[in-house]
Amino acid sequence: MEYMPDFKLHRPDNIEDAVKLRAEEPDALFVAGGTDMIVNVRRGIEQPKHLIDITAIQELKSILPDGDGLHIGAGVSLKELQSNKDVLRDYPAVAEAARAVAGPTHQEYGTVGGNLCLDTRCLFYNQSEWWRQSNDYCLKKRGDTCHVAPGGKRCFAAFSGDVAPSLLVYGAEIDVVGPNGRRRMPLTDLYRNDGMGHLTLEAGDMLTAVRLPKALAGSPSRYEKARVRGSIDFPLAGAAVRLEMDGKTVKDFVVALTAVNPYPQIVKRTDTYVGRELTEAALDEIRELVRKQAKPMRTTTVAPWYRRRVVGALARRLTEELAG
Amino acid sequence: MNEIKKDVKPAKVIGVPRPLIDGPEKVSGKALYTADFIPYDHMVGRIFRSPVAHANIVEVDTSKAEALKGVLGVVTGDDCDEGFGVLPIARYEYPLARERVRYRGEPVAAVAAVDVETAQKALDLIEFKYEELPSYFTSEEAMAPDAVSLHEHREGNIERDVDYDLGDVDGGFADADLVLEREYNCAEICQVQSEPHAAIAEYDAERDYMTVRASTQVPFYVHLMLAKTLKMDQSRIRMIKPHIGGGFGCRTECLNVELICALLARKAKGTVRLVVNREETFITHRGRPETDVKLKVGMKKDGTITAVDCQAIQRGGAYGGYGIVTILYAGSLINGIYQLDAVRYNGLRVLTNTPPPGAMRGHGTVDVRYGFEAILDELSVELGLDPIEVRRKNLLKEPYETLNEMFINSYGLPEALDIVERESGWKDKRGKPGKDGDGKYRGLGVGCAHYPCGASKPVNWTGEPHATVHLKLDWDASITVLTGAPEIGQGSSTMVAQCAAEVLGLDMTRFQVHSGDSKLVPKDNGAYSSRITYMVGNASIEAARNLKTILIEAAAKKLDAKPEDIECLGEVYRAASQDEGLTFEEVVMAALEGTGTITVKGNFDTLPESHGTRKFRGGAIGGSMAYAYAAEVVQVAVDPDTAEVEVEQVWVAQDVGRALNPLSVEGQIQGSVWMGMGQAFCEGTRFHNGLPITGNMLDYRVPSIVESPPIDTHIVESVDPNGPYGAKEAGETSLAAFIPAYTNAIADALGVRPIDLPVTPDRLMELIEAKETEERVAAAQDSSVAAE
Repeated sequence: MEYMPDFKLHRPDNIEDAVKLRAEEPDALFVAGGTDMIVNVRRGIEQPKHLIDITAIQELKSILPDGDGLHIGAGVSLKELQSNKDVLRDYPAVAEAARAVAGPTHQEYGTVGGNLCLDTRCLFYNQSEWWRQSNDYCLKKRGDTCHVAPGGKRCFAAFSGDVAPSLLVYGAEIDVVGPNGRRRMPLTDLYRNDGMGHLTLEAGDMLTAVRLPKALAGSPSRYEKARVRGSIDFPLAGAAVRLEMDGKTVKDFVVALTAVNPYPQIVKRTDTYVGRELTEAALDEIRELVRKQAKPMRTTTVAPWYRRRVVGALARRLTEELAG
Repeated sequence: MNEIKKDVKPAKVIGVPRPLIDGPEKVSGKALYTADFIPYDHMVGRIFRSPVAHANIVEVDTSKAEALKGVLGVVTGDDCDEGFGVLPIARYEYPLARERVRYRGEPVAAVAAVDVETAQKALDLIEFKYEELPSYFTSEEAMAPDAVSLHEHREGNIERDVDYDLGDVDGGFADADLVLEREYNCAEICQVQSEPHAAIAEYDAERDYMTVRASTQVPFYVHLMLAKTLKMDQSRIRMIKPHIGGGFGCRTECLNVELICALLARKAKGTVRLVVNREETFITHRGRPETDVKLKVGMKKDGTITAVDCQAIQRGGAYGGYGIVTILYAGSLINGIYQLDAVRYNGLRVLTNTPPPGAMRGHGTVDVRYGFEAILDELSVELGLDPIEVRRKNLLKEPYETLNEMFINSYGLPEALDIVERESGWKDKRGKPGKDGDGKYRGLGVGCAHYPCGASKPVNWTGEPHATVHLKLDWDASITVLTGAPEIGQGSSTMVAQCAAEVLGLDMTRFQVHSGDSKLVPKDNGAYSSRITYMVGNASIEAARNLKTILIEAAAKKLDAKPEDIECLGEVYRAASQDEGLTFEEVVMAALEGTGTITVKGNFDTLPESHGTRKFRGGAIGGSMAYAYAAEVVQVAVDPDTAEVEVEQVWVAQDVGRALNPLSVEGQIQGSVWMGMGQAFCEGTRFHNGLPITGNMLDYRVPSIVESPPIDTHIVESVDPNGPYGAKEAGETSLAAFIPAYTNAIADALGVRPIDLPVTPDRLMELIEAKETEERVAAAQDSSVAAE
């Protein structure tokens, strides 16, 4: 199905109305940039009866410093995110990640919220309706077999957003508005390690903003992704690193990964390097630490072992560069 | 009388860089492509495709689909029992599968409905019952002794087995100082042209008359196949080719899309618009087949090649298509680039349960050329020779007849090699192992290639001229060029007008070109095998000369002079002895007086000696009047952490005989380099149990602009004795040369040699790690030896 199915388009101008509509129509979907979601609709993966266009909601579109840090509306475009002065100065990996998403036109349309809520991806999932039907569908949607790990009951579709790891290394929080009002939670709590249901949002919930803490403003960071092409491609593996040094020793060190698991994750046990020198041996250890926690599966045409290798190499390289 | 300027000169058209004549429409979005024609009363066509790879068809029950309101026609294999195909000996493919389906996605039925939603609903109502058969997705599986034949008349799933042995091959290997044997696997490639396939068929039931618009490179082959499959007289069919969004060989044969569209239109008695999506375009395929190239080459210490033994196995998909030609070309084109005195070739074209490949840009030669130029590099390095010097050592001397009777009359490869060697800084930069300051490894590699200018014997040999061009001269003193040569973005319309304009000494603004309407233009075989410039260009020159003769005679009569005394200055015709003359308009009026509008014709035929003989089977394939040559040097930088390869710069020199339009030639060469780059580093189809897993533009990775390197392009003009103004082909040769230049550059940078294509980062990483392991083991052994 490459044509758009019949749907009703709604265009609310405030968050409350959008959330209300979403609650009323269980098969409705929010759409902002639509750079990934509309592709899935055209492929017949998603067949919504209602689309709620949230681009008219002004409240979602601002980047504002507030008391405890930087507020980034979920509707802010990736283009704006990468060119915002505060982001560039205080949270460089976030701007770098926005620049790494697909190509310039996608960045113009794509939004922060869309990139954070991006559906997980898999070669056996991101295909046409005819293809998926001919392949008996898959565990993630309408089927009961996982073609990546036949016999398994888990879905390994990879989270492939570029922006999340860079936000994670800064301990970002998110604002969610749902039928029961607003709540704030750590970004890490948005995700779970399940390709079928990687978002913890409940029906009717809407991600409205991201908050970056002031305490970490200016903390040095980098993001890099591996991909076959320098444009368009989703990450095969991506790593964000935030590293603060105290002279020759590590003061603060966080690494987060994308595209190597069903959710973006903070690498565990990097805190053991605090107070240590980043010798060649330590950097090699960090590379191995990252590799061990990445579990890419055969969800792209590129070999999983390569993605694991390269995510370690990227994390090591970024760490070394930030160490100066 | 118009005023005549004294200093008037014939317009200079050839060799002048100029934008293509259809450029303004294309860049402004005004050009109409097939899908842009949306007749007010059209129906939407959609295809029901096989979900299985190999099965006997038990039943295709379309009764529920037919009963659906809004459905106006449904067709199945029962509606057409005539096979189609480009080769008269291999027309066993049907527009809609009959009795068996042989690949996933093969068309089984099609519907015409009032709108797309209804058409889709109708497809969902079609009940397809089948009995599955064993399916084979690789050449090896299909050739297994117990494999079921896909086609009864093709035992063992071999579409064609080519075998020949020319010169003393065994003696050549015995004389060699070094013999290397390598096996290269080259992935299947798709064209990924910008325009997905589309057709609009308008059936006039009152008159039993069919008009078809289709995205094709070969409107007259489509015309022929429409007549055959519809069982209609050719005279009742009008074939129109609108603007085309790229071909590169995927439309070099008639496709099922246009045939299904016409079958639907006739069934539904109206106009059907069938625009297939990107995935269906991938499935329709006709790209470059996956090829396993096994090469054995012998070389003397001085670099002389002593013998070549090549086996090529092509995964040919479920139907013949161009397959026989592809496997023959793959062998023929081993010859004609170097002096080779002993060549053995075995080619196997295998039938498999995958979509049929076709004649992609660089048809037949690319994968074998890759292997050949790669093994040449390896031999050079092992013998301690400079790879460019080795190529020089083996250059041929024109005029030259190859072992397989190809005639080389112009040969600009020596100059091309000199240029890329000099411009790339080859001698200083190559062979410098080790990491650079930025942590990257850099290297340079060279590759050469050649390509014919159209087959001297067309696949549909009927005896008609190879090309015919009409020029219509009317009272308005404009010239309309009527040509069947399909403009598909390669610039053929501009070229045809340029050739005529140069002969007549007129500015291009006097010319308009019409191509691609079978009721208006003379028949042409189509845009393939780089035949158009050479053949249609020559026909255009002849037509213009014929017109010029008429104009000179008219001017002579008017000026009361002898024709041989008339001087044609383009816009002015005058008798040599006098200053006064006639304007072009006046000459036209004089010529048309009494006769009315004039249409002249020009033909082109290939020389019989270029047809080849039957000395060995398949000898005529690959025979051409001329061959273009290219040399390329590529510089890469490899990131050892990620095994990502950046092409930093390409230097390419191509002998195009004569650049009729240097701007367009440069574009063609760069496009070829770029397409070769895709095949070298990221393109390749993959299947999951026969389902094309890379049937979209995210997973089938065509390079993006970010990867596009600076391409330093040089034109070499060897001036072919038979080409139009000396021109040869410009649009295919440089593709094949890129690939080995790229892998040779990686070998120069890293000391590891990629073998299989594409060289994706995971494959390269594997090679790098294997080398590191080897070095570690060697170092450990050394130290233990030292300890002893």
